[in-house]
Amino acid sequence: MSMKTLISLILCAAVVAGCGQASDTASSKPETAKAGKPKVALVMKSLANAFFQTMQKGAEDHQKAHPSDYDLIANGIENEQDVPKQVELVEQMIAQKVDAIVIAPADSKALVPVCKEAMDAGIVVVNIDNKLDVDALKEKQASIPFVGPDNRKGSKLVGDFLAKSLKKGDEVAIVGGLAGAFNGVQRQLGFEDAMKACGANIVSEQPADWDTAKAETIVAAILTQHPQLKAVLCANDSMALGAIGALNGANRIKQVAVVGFDNIAAVQALIKEGKVLATADQHGDQIAVEGIQYALEILTKKSAPQDKELPVDLVTAESLAKTKS
Amino acid sequence: MQARAPGSPVRAALAEYGPLFVVLALLVGFFSLKTGHFATLANFATIANQIPAPSLVAVGVTFVLIAAEIDLSVGSVVGLSGSVLGVLFLQRHLPMPVAIAACLASGVAAGLFNGWVTTGFKLPSFIVTLGMLEIARGATYWVTHSQTQYIGSPIESVAATSLFGLSLPFYVAVFAVACGQFVLIRTVFGRYVMAAGTNPEALRFSGVDPRPIKRKVFLICGVLASVAAVIDVSRFQSADPNAGIGLELQAIAAVVIGGTSLMGGRGSVISSFVGVLIISVLGSGLAAMGAQDEVKRVVTGIVIVLAVIIDRYRRR
Repeated sequence: MSMKTLISLILCAAVVAGCGQASDTASSKPETAKAGKPKVALVMKSLANAFFQTMQKGAEDHQKAHPSDYDLIANGIENEQDVPKQVELVEQMIAQKVDAIVIAPADSKALVPVCKEAMDAGIVVVNIDNKLDVDALKEKQASIPFVGPDNRKGSKLVGDFLAKSLKKGDEVAIVGGLAGAFNGVQRQLGFEDAMKACGANIVSEQPADWDTAKAETIVAAILTQHPQLKAVLCANDSMALGAIGALNGANRIKQVAVVGFDNIAAVQALIKEGKVLATADQHGDQIAVEGIQYALEILTKKSAPQDKELPVDLVTAESLAKTKS
Repeated sequence: MQARAPGSPVRAALAEYGPLFVVLALLVGFFSLKTGHFATLANFATIANQIPAPSLVAVGVTFVLIAAEIDLSVGSVVGLSGSVLGVLFLQRHLPMPVAIAACLASGVAAGLFNGWVTTGFKLPSFIVTLGMLEIARGATYWVTHSQTQYIGSPIESVAATSLFGLSLPFYVAVFAVACGQFVLIRTVFGRYVMAAGTNPEALRFSGVDPRPIKRKVFLICGVLASVAAVIDVSRFQSADPNAGIGLELQAIAAVVIGGTSLMGGRGSVISSFVGVLIISVLGSGLAAMGAQDEVKRVVTGIVIVLAVIIDRYRRR
């Protein structure tokens, strides 16, 4: 009985709150639009991932520093595979009649139709972080500018740095991200480019889903199969932590070099200890900000959208020492 | 009678664990043929050092399943406990023993919550622990700001301490399995857990309240999850906010391979441990072969189902 009343009370409250919100946005919408302060929606991937948290924080800080330039609505999905949820988010933003959508797509193809829908509704769409599929965009006859780093170039930098300490024919292994993720594939390709260029022998290349524990299992198995292994190249830093765990377990931390990608704090510490050789920094805090600024620029200038490449920097013990001093 | 007495426990043990060990031996044999260095001491030591955390979680889940309940929150509790450890040590600068105590306390709290809410409101534990799965994971991201907490050498000693080539956590896990089996088979509490799973009504009529028993079972599961968290944090020398995602399903798979019934009332801690071994050998062997990710998942699924089918036929 009391449970029932409680539930019905909650339901009533929810309905009232929902109505309130709906009428709120409906009535205030034309005024804000006329006030000339654009509304920018940031649609992120998983906020469970430190990288996207950093990205969102960068955007929020930027908005706080420039409160008169634009309003920010930031949203993320619960886990990186939840593509339908992200499509819904974009649909919600279209319904909210935002002026621009800056999106880090969870899937480079599945988000194309809804982004096209947004453009047809007169919304400026800017693609960040993970590039939308070129063929899918062509098929929809949409042109969406991409603002972000070139992952392949970045991982090539890391691979080239590692190559300096390798000899021709040295055995190396590559640990990839989630099977099929565009940025992960690009990073693997960059690693391959660098390893082929220096004549190293890639003895194993397996995905570990960006996951520390999975990477540990895989690297431990590779270590037993290849007693001469000289290096492990990981498509992100979380997996580099797993590789370090496996090397510690096998007592081969001195013989095998590890490189990663992302420059998370945990790996910075390992680079300083000399356990990880290098990683790459794609300046996550700046990616969303650049995307937002680019969207604002298009809104004011109505310029033709073009891609904009952001820098990826090599991080080593030397570069970390430099930034400290 | 006298002639059979010494042989019968061995025979009973063979009947109980034989088929599982056959599956395990087949896997080891297969991977040894397919890869170069599989059946080596070094490789077995590597696998032994990977299984402590899943084994501890499997022991807890075995108790919960035997009591005809389920705990879907174990993976998230591993993540939360480990993160509490990392954050307290790194950001609050508390001494390591205090951080570890708080980590274990997180497991206790989660276990108590699951137990009290399930028995207190007479709710299905599937729902309660599903809620806890979300609560604990959300809390994990909240306390860590989704950042991996790198601890480094202060926590290293737990996993790095080794005896005869095997790590301290491995011995902890084996000890937990032995204790778990003893409690289940040889103590009154163990009998009550089985009875609570088979027929809680009968238990109540014989004057025993099944609710405190179920609460204790959830508590055991929560505590073991937090011990697993300490081990994993030590192994990676860092607390990963995404640690333990999917671990609940992996643990349930291992326990079910070991023949524990999802309906409750029947099961064995040792068999669950062998289930963990089977899943670990499979994962390690497929990685040694460099199998495609698709293949790995399909094969793992097939082995889970096959192991349960074999178990079913054995019981007929």
